[in-house]
Amino acid sequence: MMHLLLKFAAICRSGDLRVSTSEVIDAVTHLQWVDFSDETGFKAALKANFAKSRREQGNFDRLYHLFFHEMQTSTALDPDGEQTVEQRQIITQLQENEMLTDPIDSALIDFLKGDPAAFLQEIYNLENREEYSSPALKSNLGQLSARLAVMLRINALKGAIGEANTGGRSGDSQSAERLLGRLDRAYKMLTEDNRPNNDALKKVRSNETHFRDIGERSFAALSPAEIVQMQEIIKKLVRKLRDRMGRRYAAGSRRYLDVKKTLRHSGRFQGIPIEIKYRQRPLKKTKIIALCDVSGSVWSAARFMLNMLYSMQDCFSAVHSFAFISGATDITEIFEKYEADKAVEKVLSSRKIEFGALTDYGEVFQQFRRHHMHLVNKRTTVIIVGDGRSNYHNPREEILADIREKSRRIIWLNPEPEDFWHTGDSEINTYKAYCHEIRPCRNLNQLVDFVEDLVL
Amino acid sequence: MEFESIDDVMKRLEKAGYIASREIATVVFLAAAGNKPILVEGPAGSGKTELARALSTCMNRKKIRLQCYEGLDEAKALYEWEYAKQLLYTQMIKEKINDLISEADTIADAVERIADQEDAFFSERFLLARPLLQAISADDPTVLLIDEIDKADPEFEAFLLELLSEFQVSIPELGIRKAKHIPMVVLTSNNYRDMSDALKRRCIHLYIDYPEPALEAKIIRMKLPGIEQRLADKMIVVINRIRELDLKKRPCISETIDWAHALAVLRIDEITREAMSDTINVICKYRSDADMVKASMDRILH
Ligand SMILES: Nc1ncnc2c1ncn2[C@@H]1O[C@H](COP(=O)(O)OP(=O)(O)O)[C@@H](O)[C@H]1O
Ligand SMILES: [Mg+2]
Repeated sequence: MMHLLLKFAAICRSGDLRVSTSEVIDAVTHLQWVDFSDETGFKAALKANFAKSRREQGNFDRLYHLFFHEMQTSTALDPDGEQTVEQRQIITQLQENEMLTDPIDSALIDFLKGDPAAFLQEIYNLENREEYSSPALKSNLGQLSARLAVMLRINALKGAIGEANTGGRSGDSQSAERLLGRLDRAYKMLTEDNRPNNDALKKVRSNETHFRDIGERSFAALSPAEIVQMQEIIKKLVRKLRDRMGRRYAAGSRRYLDVKKTLRHSGRFQGIPIEIKYRQRPLKKTKIIALCDVSGSVWSAARFMLNMLYSMQDCFSAVHSFAFISGATDITEIFEKYEADKAVEKVLSSRKIEFGALTDYGEVFQQFRRHHMHLVNKRTTVIIVGDGRSNYHNPREEILADIREKSRRIIWLNPEPEDFWHTGDSEINTYKAYCHEIRPCRNLNQLVDFVEDLVL
Repeated sequence: MEFESIDDVMKRLEKAGYIASREIATVVFLAAAGNKPILVEGPAGSGKTELARALSTCMNRKKIRLQCYEGLDEAKALYEWEYAKQLLYTQMIKEKINDLISEADTIADAVERIADQEDAFFSERFLLARPLLQAISADDPTVLLIDEIDKADPEFEAFLLELLSEFQVSIPELGIRKAKHIPMVVLTSNNYRDMSDALKRRCIHLYIDYPEPALEAKIIRMKLPGIEQRLADKMIVVINRIRELDLKKRPCISETIDWAHALAVLRIDEITREAMSDTINVICKYRSDADMVKASMDRILH
């Protein structure tokens, strides 16, 4: 049992679950207390130790099923899964085949033998590949072609199995069938969508009608006068948010005795400290990092979003703002230096932003990670404003996953109507697996809702 | 061992008014046997808090609850000195203190003399024990519910982690307090933010989803023993279809129970369009949600 469990733990690790030694030890202890014939209990015990959040459970279920059911080796739960002599013969021939010496081949042969760890590792490496392509040649072809290479190896192996089978004396086609079936499984795993469960994602769709007309019309359809009116509303809104935060901390702050103040006040009562004075607790430092898409596809919304970010930075001390198209440009200073209108103009004409370039979210995240990740900690709320349209570049979702891990929350505001979210080059479906909250934000009512709901 | 078997957990929880799936019972059993905290995740209203209550009932232990919120700190979670009471006492025994320092030659000497008496002021009498200290100092084993830990700050999580690994606290004025019994700890989270790896490693994990139809039917029959089987089954089908809609707030178990009560009071035993319209406000909190259900009525009822 110990051996089986260690093996499964190794597979979980290759499959991107974080399983520590202490968790393996706990699982060993726990398995003493469950009955192996009761699979629900067996699986529940492993799951409770190896997948410690809802987000990881889908991946766990997949790996569990792969190892304990599909692999069907003698090591697994199913004793009938023992490989036949013919199967072993075919595998030996594959191992001796001089055409199959690629590391991927040996990972696949291990997979055929019932040990998926090396193959899972290959998939993991594929998904977390860094792109080294030159900026002129951007695409996610690197990842695709690496995947394609693995598919070709799978086909090569299939061919070799066919040959080994007809060349062999027994010609037991059933054994070959089973091995081929297993390769099909490997092929499927390569293309499987393996994003974390994110059913805790807060999706906000409907919204209150705070303002008629001006509140309901999309940002793009507002007149200059309305735009000014709207900026006022946004400013007031953010101030209200700040007051709300301030009040909340004040309420929780009356707890430390202020000795000096108390004694000073006791003078009035002949030195008796009747009135107890408390020290004001410092306000909690809330940090916001805002990333705002300013590319053509969200042009009309960007103005308002920048306005909102401007107000936020004005009201809260620790706000960092970035504008992006195909790289993350720090605009915090511009916001600090100029008043609102001017600042937004400055941003929208900044030479540091490549206005002519194609939007590339993957590259934006990559640059953000490289230069600004140190700004992110568990106090940070990350607000991303954008439509997620990335021109079919590599989305680099693993970087967003990394940001999630280091921050407190990620909120995504999408200025596109929801009906379009899943069309064309939108990666919003990919990214939403790593957000805590996602909302359409294309008119004032939705913006008001967002700020009123915001807890920092 | 606290429980004899997984079945024993199921049976005893049920007696305490909680219908547990086999997964839930397994994790509870392992946590109790291994003295490990359980970290329970799940949508709002899926029965996380209720599980802790039922555990305290069926284990015959006192339940101590710490509700988490932003800004929660040690003073509210662990202990606090009662300054007001201390000050009051110093005033009441002013004479005694004066006696004590009257013979002192210097201020330093006077302070020294008072310091000798410090113990009297930093004693049990002036210590206000908050839930965590209560659980640690309890004479009998307890169930400690740390509810909605995702609402607390990360710093508090780090502090809690230390407590959960040592089950002892150091009170500078009094020394180290070690738990007489390790409490059964249940932490719940609605996933407002992610828990740290360190905390997850300390705990064994349980996800409580909306219950399987059979379980939910059982819960309803437990709460409303008189309900007709056919009606209960139909209700569950309808509720699950409503849960599939894109609502602001999906109906959870308590909404199903409330709905069953409402139907009983109105003597409705057939779920028709009219019945739905009359009772929809029990299922949906928001008007926009109710409207969405009404708009999808055909799909929900057939
Ligand atoms: N398994 C169950 N058995 C019996 N009642 C349950 C069960 N799960 C939930 N309930 C009912 O649902 C209500 C809401 O559950 P609660 O524990 O408050 O949810 P949560 O803490 O997960 O938000 C409880 O008051 C209880 O009546
Ligand atoms: Mg609760």
